Amino acid sequence: MSAASPAHDTHHDDHAHAHPTGLKRWLFTTNHKDIGTLYLWFALAMFFTGGVMALLIRAELFQPGLQFVNPEFFNSLTTVHGLVMVFGAIMPAWVGFANWLIPMQIGAADMAFPRMNNWSFWLVVPAAILLVASFFVPGGAAASGWTLYPPLIIQQGISIDMTILAVHILGASSIMGSINIITTILNLRAPGMTLMKMPLFVWTWLITAYLLIAVMPVLAGAVTMLLTDRHFGTSFFNAAGGGDPTMFMHIFWFFGHPEVYIMILPAFGVVSAIIPAFARKPLFGYASMVYATASIAILSFIVWGHHMFTVGMPAAGNLFFMYATMLIAVPTGVKVFNWIATMWQGSMTFETPMLFSIGFICLFTIGGFSGLVLAVTPVDITIHNTYYVVAHFHYVLVSGALFSLFAGAYFWLPKFTGKMYNESLGKLHFWLSVIGFNIAFFPQHFLGLAGMPRRIPDYALQFAEWNMWSSIGAFIFGFSQLLFLYNVIECIRSSRKAADNPWEGADTLEWTHLPSPAPYHSFETAPVVK
Amino acid sequence: MEAFKAVFWSFFGVRKKSEYDKDAKSLTPQAVIAAGLVSALVFVLAIFGIVKLVTR
Ligand code: HEM
Ligand SMILES: [Cu+2]
Repeated sequence: MSAASPAHDTHHDDHAHAHPTGLKRWLFTTNHKDIGTLYLWFALAMFFTGGVMALLIRAELFQPGLQFVNPEFFNSLTTVHGLVMVFGAIMPAWVGFANWLIPMQIGAADMAFPRMNNWSFWLVVPAAILLVASFFVPGGAAASGWTLYPPLIIQQGISIDMTILAVHILGASSIMGSINIITTILNLRAPGMTLMKMPLFVWTWLITAYLLIAVMPVLAGAVTMLLTDRHFGTSFFNAAGGGDPTMFMHIFWFFGHPEVYIMILPAFGVVSAIIPAFARKPLFGYASMVYATASIAILSFIVWGHHMFTVGMPAAGNLFFMYATMLIAVPTGVKVFNWIATMWQGSMTFETPMLFSIGFICLFTIGGFSGLVLAVTPVDITIHNTYYVVAHFHYVLVSGALFSLFAGAYFWLPKFTGKMYNESLGKLHFWLSVIGFNIAFFPQHFLGLAGMPRRIPDYALQFAEWNMWSSIGAFIFGFSQLLFLYNVIECIRSSRKAADNPWEGADTLEWTHLPSPAPYHSFETAPVVK
Repeated sequence: MEAFKAVFWSFFGVRKKSEYDKDAKSLTPQAVIAAGLVSALVFVLAIFGIVKLVTR
């Protein structure tokens, strides 16, 4: 299991097996752990890039009136903040975890297609550059909102074409990544690792990968139609030419709703690994968790209309999407009960990964409830496009997806680096994050109910008080994330050797069968799972 | 039929351990996936039926 086994040294003419160092190692790597590391650092960099945009937004909204940015630039900030966080931070971070963990958790030596894996990663970098560079072209970055609705998107300049190209590249990368993940899981499992013995993180990623393959081409189609509408005289979305802008919304949200589950299903997997480990009890209802995840995935395709209650669908259409959306909350709620049942009468300890997981359960549930409120058609008609929606999706995405990413990072850092992170600093990061997050986003429920629209740089005076609080919270939250960066670097540099299994209750292969840090090549001979 | 039962209970996310053990022995992935897709269609038609009923 060491890095240079004799079998490898005989292949000197084969570049895939030599180990270059420095920049070349990272550029040409086909190793799943190297590629996972690249994805995770990339995601963290994009998280801070998107975070700077968020703080600019909150700085402008600290007081009514225009202080720092002009309205066009403000619109670019909200748009690119959304795109960068969704496609640049959350999604690549999950792919990073998938690369690191899936081969180790199923007892495989690497991913099924290591070279395609390298290509998937290096595609996301130019896409990110395109997105960020679009701020500096004439006309400024895309200002249509991350949903890229026409007709606004048809009117702007070259930055839109850059954004469309970026979305295409990211889609290609995601599809290749998904093919790789599905093939790895279905074909490279160790003897005895039956499907129903796989850790839930592997299961949730398997289902997520199918979702990605199903919807990324839909998004690619939608943005291609935008492109031809802009440059080649088609009128898919142009009413003057016989097209229909609402068709874009249908296509976009047919992608968009499964997309939100793409960002949250791996989070369910991580939390399902951490809660049992720190409650020292097996996960309650493993099989039903697998089945519920599959149900959620299938049903996520039939609820997209809840984003469109105000566009004038027939009453029957609105009712259909309202009922369907409320029913999809059933399997989601069951998962929350299963996690709570796992903790019930467990011998719990509260290290940082567990704190973030419990924070996830509490706050994600609030986001689920505000989702249910929005799913009620007549209610949504009054609060659609208000800050209530902004509050909803930050509760599910920040305290949902992002918190579970932090939970996973602290949980697996000892395995990744071989070092133990600083527990008190981790806890400090958690508490500052929870407090900052809630001050930033809970008041946005009030603002939305009071009628403050989203995506505006200025607002009426009655909204001033809660906007001030929201900005204060956002700055607390934003700056405490530097603590995470510090924690990771401090952990890597420290001399606190981590045990092979520092968590009493963790029982998946990477903890039970591999040392810390996990060797460069693991499971060259597959372990046998009883 | 067994596959449909498994899919139905999975929607609520609960399944007796003994029942699950039976499923694990007797069901193939193909059967479960087929049952899942058919159930999704039935689900859509059912909601659609209810909607038709209340908007009449
Ligand atoms: C109980 C489950 C959920 C329900 C019932 C629900 C319902 C809704 C509804 C009705 C809207 C549309 C609001 C409007 O625009 O007027 C919405 C928006 C949104 N939801 Fe959820 N949601 C749920 C879970 C999630 C999850 C898990 C995520 C992501 C991880 C998510 C992410 C979003 C996003 C990003 C938007 C805003 C899209 C935009 O307009 O920019 N939701 N949700
Ligand atoms: Cu949705």
